[in-house]
Parts: sequence; structure tokens; C-alpha cells
Amino acid sequence: MPNSTRPKHDIGEQYYATQLGSYDKMYATETKVLPHWERFTAALEAMGSEKLSLRRREAQRLLRENGVTYNVYGDAKNLSRPWQLDPIPLLISSEEWTDIEAGLKQRAELLNLILTDIYGKQTLLTKGLLPAELIFGHEGFLHACVNTLHVQQHQQLMLYSANLVRGSKGRMWVLDDRTQAPSGSGYALENRTVMTRVLPDIFRETPVHRLSGFFKALRKGLADIAPHNKEDPRIVVLTPGPLNETYFEHAYLAAHLGFTLVQGDDLTVRDGYVWLKSLSGLQAVDVILRRVDDSFCDPLALRSISRLGVAGLLDAARRGNVVIANPLGSSILENPALLAFLPRLARHFLNEELKLPSVATWWCGQAREREFVLKNIDNLVIKPINRSQHNYAVFGGLLSSDEKQRLREQILAKPYLFVGQEHVSFSTVPAFINQHIEPRNAVLRSFVVASSDEYVVMSGGLTRVARQKDNFVVSNQAGGISKDTWVLATEPDKSVSLWTQPKRNQRIEPVIEPLTSRAADNLFWVGRHLERVKTSSQLLRTVLKKLAESLEFKDAVDNDCLHILLRSLTQVTGTYPGFIKADEKLLKAPQSELLALVQASDRNGTLSKNIQAFAHAALSIRDFWSQDTWRSVDTIQRRWQQHVINADITVEQLQNPLDDLIAGIVAFSGLISESMTREASWLILDSGRRLECALILIALLRSTLASQHEEALQSQVLEAVLVATDSLTIYQRRYRSYIQLPLVLELLLLDETHPRSLAYQLSRLSTHISALPRDTRYLSEEERLILKAYTDLRLCTVHELTQMPDNETIYVNLEQLLANTTTLLWRLADVIAEAYFSHSQASQLIIVTTPEDDL
Amino acid sequence: MKYRITHITRYHYSQSVGLCQNEARLQPRNFWRQQCDYSRFDIQPTPSDTNEWLDFFGNHVTYFAIQQPHTQLTVTAISEITLFPRESNLDLLNRIPWEQVRGLLQDTYLQGQSQSQQGQSQSQFQTQDQRLEILDAKQYLLDSPMVSVSSELADYARPSFLPNRPLVEVVNDLMQRIYKDFTYDPTFTTIATPLSDVLRFRRGVCQDFAHLAIGCLRAYNIAARYISGYVETVPEQGQARLVGADASHAWFSVYIPETGWLDFDPTNNTVPLDQHITLAWGRDFSDVTPLKGIAFGGGQHTLSVSVDVLRLE
Repeated sequence: MPNSTRPKHDIGEQYYATQLGSYDKMYATETKVLPHWERFTAALEAMGSEKLSLRRREAQRLLRENGVTYNVYGDAKNLSRPWQLDPIPLLISSEEWTDIEAGLKQRAELLNLILTDIYGKQTLLTKGLLPAELIFGHEGFLHACVNTLHVQQHQQLMLYSANLVRGSKGRMWVLDDRTQAPSGSGYALENRTVMTRVLPDIFRETPVHRLSGFFKALRKGLADIAPHNKEDPRIVVLTPGPLNETYFEHAYLAAHLGFTLVQGDDLTVRDGYVWLKSLSGLQAVDVILRRVDDSFCDPLALRSISRLGVAGLLDAARRGNVVIANPLGSSILENPALLAFLPRLARHFLNEELKLPSVATWWCGQAREREFVLKNIDNLVIKPINRSQHNYAVFGGLLSSDEKQRLREQILAKPYLFVGQEHVSFSTVPAFINQHIEPRNAVLRSFVVASSDEYVVMSGGLTRVARQKDNFVVSNQAGGISKDTWVLATEPDKSVSLWTQPKRNQRIEPVIEPLTSRAADNLFWVGRHLERVKTSSQLLRTVLKKLAESLEFKDAVDNDCLHILLRSLTQVTGTYPGFIKADEKLLKAPQSELLALVQASDRNGTLSKNIQAFAHAALSIRDFWSQDTWRSVDTIQRRWQQHVINADITVEQLQNPLDDLIAGIVAFSGLISESMTREASWLILDSGRRLECALILIALLRSTLASQHEEALQSQVLEAVLVATDSLTIYQRRYRSYIQLPLVLELLLLDETHPRSLAYQLSRLSTHISALPRDTRYLSEEERLILKAYTDLRLCTVHELTQMPDNETIYVNLEQLLANTTTLLWRLADVIAEAYFSHSQASQLIIVTTPEDDL
Repeated sequence: MKYRITHITRYHYSQSVGLCQNEARLQPRNFWRQQCDYSRFDIQPTPSDTNEWLDFFGNHVTYFAIQQPHTQLTVTAISEITLFPRESNLDLLNRIPWEQVRGLLQDTYLQGQSQSQQGQSQSQFQTQDQRLEILDAKQYLLDSPMVSVSSELADYARPSFLPNRPLVEVVNDLMQRIYKDFTYDPTFTTIATPLSDVLRFRRGVCQDFAHLAIGCLRAYNIAARYISGYVETVPEQGQARLVGADASHAWFSVYIPETGWLDFDPTNNTVPLDQHITLAWGRDFSDVTPLKGIAFGGGQHTLSVSVDVLRLE
């Protein structure tokens, strides 16, 4: 509110102190104001803190297993932080919510009108309702976006979020507005899901508004704005990728709403339309729900350094061929200086008073306001209007006199870049911290979506509380804790189904979800890493067993066999120099190198590294996995972290974690083959597995069996190879006790019925590859390669392969076959990547005709 | 005065480019001093998709995309324009002191505010048109992507800003000082050279000098904008050939109440009259890049540019 209509002493009146020291006091205050807390707190008391603590642990377990994380930038070690949920929700009474809801709707409507004006006729500037510096001085105003809105659409602002705080008198204030890509609604939904599981009894007895209405409105709202294909529009969620802080939510919302999750490289603009690059060609995109900041969305028209966007996107929007929610440029509404002008703009546009007040804000671009801020700097929060890493809000009172002087100089130099804001003291809410209920400052993030020409408010929201008492900085980056928000209903809510009822006689075609090239790439690598982890842990297990034997029996043959296996391990895992050309000392005491091959997470080829890569690839396509499948990924990773990476463990103790790991991998493979439909995604994933399995098997055979060994040693090596490939049982059943090279090769190379054989891998690969979408007139390059590899193998006989020429110690034919197959398979991997994952093609920005280039 | 401008840009790629998308600001805009009679593009290979619009500053923008594999791209822009030179040098005689201009530009006109809140007293005498003109000028007061006001810029400009000096004289003096103090050196700067380096080493090209002057003026709350364009190639008999011929050129413009926007070319120390052809204007170079594009693939690329400015009559 501009201070011309506000008496000066207001700042003192707004600046109330409610530092409640104890739970009792807060309890009294809260219950007096909010009688609905009474029943809830009684239920909590009845439960007792021990039981509540159990429930909280249960909630944390569910959240972790569901993969609910919040990534913290600049923390490489602990990139994804588990989402923290306090089992005590924030309760809001039905009457109070009616006011809040009306206020949020009005605010969304108002901001929508402001946005439309700023990127359209700009009458607010020409009529003198907003100062020019407030718009032009804010980084959110993107010149290129002027006249790119869809004017025929009433609502430009599709999604809106406000951060609300309750002052000590119980009134809700808007702390700030989020208008470009508001996050949090997915976390709110997940919090609710978990709460109904951990506090089912209390939840059942309390009439709480459901959240599903909001998501239904979101889906409908986005479908309605599609410029084409209104019946069945393609809607995508544009994410910056798995490193983004709220990536979990992007994947979660995409899966929940049935949208395709994409990154910038998955999309391309052709003929003025936006297309999804999928395994089966380009597919038109109608609506983009973006979670990429607006200036990063188009490297051609906007920020040229961005690798997160799509070149030509803004032009496609300008032509009305795609709708982006929220439209590019909408972060202009996040300018905090705007808060000071909202009451006046509400009167101008709506002829109404603002229903939800903003935190009192003074924009330094105006002389009187600037003087006021400079004079009261000690009592105000000073915010730069442009948020960035180096530009953040400071509490004037906490600055040293030097810092304060510098800040004054900055304000005077470019006053339009700063606002002063009242330092709001929040009223506190009860939070369950360290087995006690304690008061904490809380911020409620609310969510609003445009749907069918009106704004729909989520009946609830995401409440966050500070970790420390009296801390006013409440954010997830700062390690805050979240709460569910219960809006109490006067009567039980009817459940709203997310499913759409078909019209009568409407035929419903099943939609085969297009597989994006990026998702295909990740699926392929999930498959490859999966096999890598499985086969190398089986080999490791074999080596460890042999090591124990050789230490126990001190037999020379055992020892020779161990050395062969150690060298093979280096070759199979690609961890050179390792045991290749190792001196006697290392071969005698291989323990530390073996432990490193398992444990080290900073070295390529180790188990830890491969598990990380597997989990990362799986996370990058989080939306593909069922709940159970994802849980199995989480289990593998967590147990390994706990029992191996972070454990003080010796080589002798590795057996159990390795068994455990293999069981986890088998569980994951089982789940995917039980739950994935046999579409392109399955073909790609399984191709990755088969390819890797073949390559590792070949590396194992070449490093163990290609050379001739004495008979006693040969038997041991053959047995070890059978154990490492999980084939000993089947061998024994088939050939009983005669262990000899030709029979082992027969089983491991040529037997197509044995799922660990090379023939089996190549046969599957060849089937998968011929089923992939492509031009069917000719054999593709990848088909030719696999055909050659497979045919060469089938034309071999064991007899030929085991011929030993005179004066040789190597089975030349065997070695030749394996070497050739390796070359073909490596080439195959490249060709598949080129044909199906071509999103990786780099783009380059070319700016020419700069004067200095010419002169 | 009529001119024909032929501006050719050629890219060569070492590897095939599957898709390239471009934005060109290569068609001269119309304003009181200039009229574009004719303008067309010849692009090889022929783009499969094009679009045109006027940007926020009123410049012509052409979007074009080549969607089939190619290893070279040639963009030829041919335009014919007519220049209407000033009939007198009255503009240069505008005596309004720079402090008064600053005051006008600093005023924030807000509806419903009383005069006392408007700050300076001029506001009440403004017509609606003047008010809109000043409103438009205000955006050229603020920092822009490539020009950020600093105390170093203010220090350099200070000797030109003598008290009560007419703004026209201030800018003229500033232009002459830049011309005198700075060495024209195409080897020194690139597109990424910051203004502070230009100021420190006293070297640069036309783009840097334009940015420098704009920064100096904005440091004193004077609105200044960046102009991209061309200067005539063939000199008149007996006159020296201007620097920047056979290439695109850049200079700056200053808002002077009553007169409007007045151009200055610090590279040639001259007030453009009938040899400067304007393509586009904006806050700085980043708003008016004549040709920029994104290419997918392509490996290494080389490019060559040629500009021919021919006087027709």
C-alpha cells in the first residue's frame, strides 16, 4: 500500500512482537483463536509423544521410499535431501478459508490483468498507474515477450502461488507472489498422501477438504488452452532436469496428471510448431507446463547461454501454435515493488479493495518512500527487486554500520532496484521437534490455477516451518520442514476423481505414450548399468571365494587360478592398471585393491560407481517407474550406502552385502519384467541389458579361457567361470561331473536356451532391434551389425573354437570370434545412440555481423 | 539522398547442420529522417519457415529456419532507402541545460498524485505527447545487458558535464573526448569485452565507443540509446573515407526535449546527417544484433561478411 494513504506510525503497529517462549502459552493463544485445534490437540495428547515420534518416522520412511526429495544446489555429496514432514498439520477453519480463498482468487485475477497489460498495451504505464522504472528496471520484464500472449484467452496467468504468513493478530498476509513456475503443489499432494497413512484415525475423524479438485482443475485448465487438438492435446512438463531442486515434483506431477516429462533437448521447433522428439519421430506439442525459468526457455530469443530451453519457442508462442503456462515473461509479477501498487491497481481494474493485504512495502524508486526507507532502515527488510544468488534480502537492523552505509549508497545510486519491507513477525504454529511440540514460524504456500475462466484455489497448501526456533527464514534451501495443511470442511468432502468420464459413444483410443529420445537414452543406460552391477558383483563374489580358499589351503593351483581371476576382474571392470601387470606383492595381498573395486565411489568401474550411475539413470526417468520399482532402486542404493560405502568393512565381510546387492538387482529386474508393457521403452531397456551382458561375458571369457592352462588349473578356472556366470548348477545337471572347455563354451556361447549365454543375448538383441521403429524398406545399420554378430556366432562349432594350433598357447579361433564380436557390439552401441538418442547433438550459438567482426 | 545497401553474410560449417534458426534485424526502419523504399532477403538454402514482426523498439525482425541438412548458409539483405537530411542545424543549437533534462527524466508521473509529490515543477506543463515521449525515453536511462553504469564511467564523463552547460554541448564534448582519447583497434575487443576494459585500455571499435558514451550519459541520468546501421562506402571527392564503411556500423542517440533524439557517431566524431543509414535501435547491442542464430551440429564454422552501400542519387 503506498504510504500516502497510510499513516506513518503504521510501521510500528504492524511491527508487533509475539515471541512466544513456551508451548503452553502458544497453546493457550492458539486455542483461544482457533477452537478447531482443541479436538486435534486432544487427539495428539492421547497419542503421546512416543507414538507420535513413531508416526513421524513412518512418514519419513514412506517419503523416502516414494523418492520424495528436495535437491540442494552446491551440495554434491548429499544432492538429494529427503523431504521432511512434520506429522502435525496446519489447521485452518472453514470460515477463515472462505476469506483466504476469495482473497487469492481476487489476487490471481488482478495479477492476470496486470500481466496482460504489461505485455500488451501497457496502459498502466501510459496512464501513470505504474512507474516505468518498476517495469523496465526488473529483470523479469522480457522485451522479446511483448505481444506474444494469447490475447483471445481470458487468463494468461495459469498458475499462481502466494506465500502467506499469519500475523500475531491472526490475519493472513501475503509475503510474496510466485508467478513464473510456482513449485510445491506436488509436495503438498505427497504430504497429504503420507499423512492419511500415518494418522489415519485422526484424519478420518476430521472433515478435511481434499486436494484432488485442484489437480483436476489443473488438468482441465491446461487442456482447455490447447490451441489445437482440443479433444486430446499433448501436454508436456518442461523440467531443467534431475539436478533441479524440485525435480521430484516435476516427475511426480507429470506421472500424476498423465503428461510427458521433457527437457529442453527433447523438444524442437519446426515450421513454427513445437515437436517432441520421440523414438517414433516428431510429435506435435500443444501445451507446455514449464518449470524452467522464463529467460532460460529460448536461447534464440532470450538468454543465449541457456542449454535448458528450446530455440524458437517464443516465436511458436507468438504465432499461437503452442501455449506455455505460465507465459514467458510472467516473472515480472514477482517484482516485490509491485506489492506497493496492488491496492491502487485493484481499484483501477476491479473497482475493489484488495482482500488479502501484502506485507507493507516501500519502493525506493519514489522520493518519499526512499526517504522513509533510508530513515527506518533499522526496522525494515531491504530487498533488491531482482533476486539472485548475490542479491538477497537483508534485515537492516542486523547490519554493521559500514554495511548499512554501503547499502544506503547502493540504494541512492540505483533506487529503483530496492524496496523496504516491514519485518513481519509471524504467529507461531505447533511443530513436533525432537520429541516435543514447539512453536515455530510458518509460511503457507497456496496454489491457484486458471480453469474454465475462473481461478480455482487448492483447499490446502504447502506449509513450511523453520528448523530453528525464532528463525524467520523459512525455505527448503535453508533446510525447512514441511507440514500438511488441513482446511477444515463443514461437511465431509465428496471425493473428486481425476478420471474424465467419456462422452456417450465416444471411442477411447489407447494412447501409446511417445518415448522421448532422452528417456530412451536413460532406459538404455539403466539396462547397461544394471547388468554391469549384477555381473561384476557375481564375479567379485567368485574372486572372494577363491581368495579365501587360497589363503586357507595354500595350494599353488588355487593361487594361479586366483591370479587369473584377479586379472580378469580388472579387465571386466575396466579398472586398469589394477591386477594387470601387477607385481607379486599386489597379487599376494590383493585385499586393498579388491576393497577399492567395491567401495570407492570416486573411481570409474567400481561397484559403488556403477550403482550410482544406475540410480542416476533411473532417477532421470523417475516418471517411468511404478512405486514398487522405485522403492527397489532406493533400497539397493540405501543399503549399499549404509553397509558398504559408509561402513568400516573388510574384504572378508563383503560376502553379505554382495549377496544382498544381487538380490536387490534381481528384485528390480523382476519388477520391471512384471510391470513394464512390452513397448519401445522395454525394448530399449532390455537391449541395454543384453548388450552389456554380452560384452561382459566376452571380456570374462577372453581373460580366462582364451589361453591354454594345465589341466588342474583349467578345471578350476572353468568352474570359477561357471560360478561367476551363475551357470554351474545347469552345467552340472546337463554334463554331470566332466568339466571341460568345449562343453563350457557350448553352454556359455552357443546355447540359445541358456539366459546367460552369448547366443541368448544376441538373439534377444536382434529381435528387439528389428522391433524398433524405423524405415522398413532396408535393413538398418544396427540390424546389419547385430545380424552379422549373431550369424558369425551361430556358424561356429565348439570343435573349431577349441583347436590349438602348433606353437601356440592361445585358442586363436575363439579369441578371434570374441574380439570381432566385441568390435561389432561397440559399433552397435554407437549406431543405436546415433539413431535413437540423437538429442545429444550439440547446438551452437552463432552471432554474426557484430561490427568488430567485420572491421 | 537515396542508397542501396547489400549486406551479405556467409557461414561455412565443417560438418552438416541439420537445423538452424535465426533472427535477423537487417531491414532498415522508418523514422522522420529515413524511409525504407524497398527491402528483401535472399537466403540460400531457402528457409522452409519464416516469420516477421516489429520488436518492442519498433525494429523489423525476420525469423527464418533452415530445416534440411546444409553445410553453408548465405544471407543477403538488399534494401533501398531515402534519407531526409535536416534542413538546418537548429537542433544543435538547443540550449536546454543537462540538469534540466535530468530533472524531466527523473520525474515519476503517477496518476492521482499531487503536484508536491511530482518533484520537479515542469510536469504540469507537459502535454500528453511530451509525457509519452519522456516515458519512452525513461527505459534508456536504466542499466541494460551490456551497459551497466559505474562510478568509473561517471568519473570519465565528469569533465563534459559542466554546470548549466546545454546538453547538446555536453554530448558533443563527450563525443570529441572519446574520439581523441580512444584508439580504434579491431584486434583489441571481442563481443564479450566488458566496458570497464575498454575504459581502462582506451581501445575498442565503434560498438564499444557507442556503449561507452551511452554509459557515460546514463551515469548522469541522460537517456541514450544504441543505433546499428551503415555509413556510406564511397567518400565524396576530396573527403576522407569514413571508418566503418563496407561493414555494419554503430553509434548512439541522445534524447533532448523539444528536439527529440539526436544521433552522434563517436568513432568518426561527427553528427550523422546524410551518410548514416539506420537499421535498428535499442538499449544496447544485445537488443539489435543484426543476425543471430542457433545451429545444431556444424562442428567448426567460419563466416564472412560484406556490406556495400551505394548512393543512387
